[in-house]
Amino acid sequence: MSEPKSDPVIQVKDLYKFYSIGSNRVKALNGVDFTINRGEFCSIVGTSGSGKSTLLNMLAGLEKPSKGQIVISGHHIERLNENQLVKFRREHVGFIFQSFNLLPTMNAVENVALPLTFRGISKKTRLAKAAKMLDLVGLKKQRFHKPTQMSGGQQQRVGVARALVVQPEIIFADEPTGNLDSNTSAEVMNLMKKIVREQNLTLIMVTHDNHLASFADRIFHIRDGKILKIEDNTNKEVLNDEEI
Amino acid sequence: MSFLDLLTMSASNLWRRKLRTCLTILGVIIGTTSIVVMLSLGFGLKRSYLKQVESSGGLTTVNVYSGNDYYYWGDEDSSSTEKIELTDEVIDEISQMEHVKFVSPILNAELILKQGVYQCYANVKAMSYDALEKMNIPLEYGSIPTSDEEVRFIFGNNIITDFSNTKTNEYYWDTGELPDVDLKGDFFAIYDTDAYFSSMWGDSEGNKVQAPKKYIVSNTSLVSGGVDEYNEYSYNIYANIDAMKKQLKKVFKNKAIPGQPTTKSGKPYSYWVYNEAYVQVDDFNYVTDVQKAISDMGLQAHSNAEYVESTQKQFSTIQMALGGIGSVALIVAAISIANTMMMSIYERTKEIGIIKVLGCSLGNIRSLFLMEAAFIGFIGGFLGLILSYGLSAVLNKVLARYAGDMFGTGSSVGISYIPLWLSGLALIFAIFVGIIAGFLPAIRAMKLSPLSAIKTE
Repeated sequence: MSEPKSDPVIQVKDLYKFYSIGSNRVKALNGVDFTINRGEFCSIVGTSGSGKSTLLNMLAGLEKPSKGQIVISGHHIERLNENQLVKFRREHVGFIFQSFNLLPTMNAVENVALPLTFRGISKKTRLAKAAKMLDLVGLKKQRFHKPTQMSGGQQQRVGVARALVVQPEIIFADEPTGNLDSNTSAEVMNLMKKIVREQNLTLIMVTHDNHLASFADRIFHIRDGKILKIEDNTNKEVLNDEEI
Repeated sequence: MSFLDLLTMSASNLWRRKLRTCLTILGVIIGTTSIVVMLSLGFGLKRSYLKQVESSGGLTTVNVYSGNDYYYWGDEDSSSTEKIELTDEVIDEISQMEHVKFVSPILNAELILKQGVYQCYANVKAMSYDALEKMNIPLEYGSIPTSDEEVRFIFGNNIITDFSNTKTNEYYWDTGELPDVDLKGDFFAIYDTDAYFSSMWGDSEGNKVQAPKKYIVSNTSLVSGGVDEYNEYSYNIYANIDAMKKQLKKVFKNKAIPGQPTTKSGKPYSYWVYNEAYVQVDDFNYVTDVQKAISDMGLQAHSNAEYVESTQKQFSTIQMALGGIGSVALIVAAISIANTMMMSIYERTKEIGIIKVLGCSLGNIRSLFLMEAAFIGFIGGFLGLILSYGLSAVLNKVLARYAGDMFGTGSSVGISYIPLWLSGLALIFAIFVGIIAGFLPAIRAMKLSPLSAIKTE
């Protein structure tokens, strides 16, 4: 896994984010620098209020940084306006949410096909692609189930399929197993890891759980808006798998 | 996103909130109906008025009179221009004018008609065959009199009420009974009425005068319609002008024909002078122009155009007021659309956030919500139109009798009338109102932060 290191996909330089709550100025991020390479699986771990979600939001262009630079595949995303950000997300980014965020009116295959709709892909093609993705995450039978007819684990698999269907360069996952029990969590984590490996995708996952974080190649420990340490996990990988 | 995807997505969103959508649509239905029905009353009013005018003299008719004082009607400034007589030459000149469909002189002949004990003082309008034919007089029976035959009449359908019983001196209006006159039968016509009266009561010196010759008139035609029905031909008797001229010449020989001007020595002219002419214009919009041109010739011209135009203007004002009242309901409906859309946006904050994170462009989000609002407008407008047509039909059926009395129109013309263009316009307007009402909510939805999708509830 040493070759991809020469191919940085995310570069963060001197990133700050301040909030004003009343008269208080809260520093959510207080000077963060790092680089993530293509094909890497990174987890950002920290307690709540540590700034880990803020960091993810800014990487995904959902929040504007107060100061600093974020360069993703050559785009300075801190300089993009909202329309350009939406376009950027549509073309480069897949998203996995903690609460799955499937549209309740649509069945599994339609939910997966949704991001393709925004790209203006024809109904026939996008449903075919979505069906293929559902096969990949092992939900062939549940294709036409509504979210309410599926278990949490199944719903999150649909969420994973939805993130993958656009063939993004980067996938952001915000506490993807936060609403799942530990067995299902492990299943989903392994699924994500497998697909990321197979398709050489970059996955950035935010979690407060040290154990889940250890599935990643690199672990960013964050506290009070600063990166405490970056743990390289590639050598311990075998061990991690055995632990489960 | 393709247009079809946007359409299905917004439609399915509306379908999801069936009850609320239905209630909002109901508002638009009521709004559209109230405007359309209110306006339809105005259109009905205008239309029935036009029909009424048509039946009492026509919209495209110009009546022309020579500058005679007898026929002075008022408005026309006849003193400034030289008065000219209505001769065949002048008639010809009028017929050359633009937009004049046809023109016919009217020779008025006063005569007495007799059948049995009944008699009638008739003012016969003798016109050309061409004009009589083109006037499209609806005939119950008979045909248009030609110039080759003896004088033959077209009786108006109300003429029978002009006959009086010579024994009792009673008219239809006295007795309430129709005189026993056979309109299809023969009549005696007395052309020399002066001589007739003289023969009855003696001449100015009290001498007895021989009764004038009577002429038999048969094969009369009748304008269709009962005694109670009225149209512009009801009270007239028409005859062919050439046949009438021949007849008058025969009756009066070398004497002056009544109504025709004479020289100082009392001798008749060698040509005919008419006191009236009937001009038909090809389109209502040119009536005033033609009227003006004829007036400029030094003749008096009258039409319904000015009167009709001013009345139409009044009706338009009434219609606008009615439409204004009706539009209040649509304004309320528009507010309710805006409210529904706002509610739905608050409810769907998370969903909007999700599709934003997944890469739905801002323009598409705005379109989604605008389309929903437009859908509400369209469905409401469409159903409102159906309701309007129904309501209009009911109004016409139920109120026709009262309205007929009120406006003096027949029951054949409804008081509510929805022109096709109005229904088209109403539908477009309803959609437009929907879009306007949905505009602010749509902008709001577009500006919602995608962060709300990430937040866990």
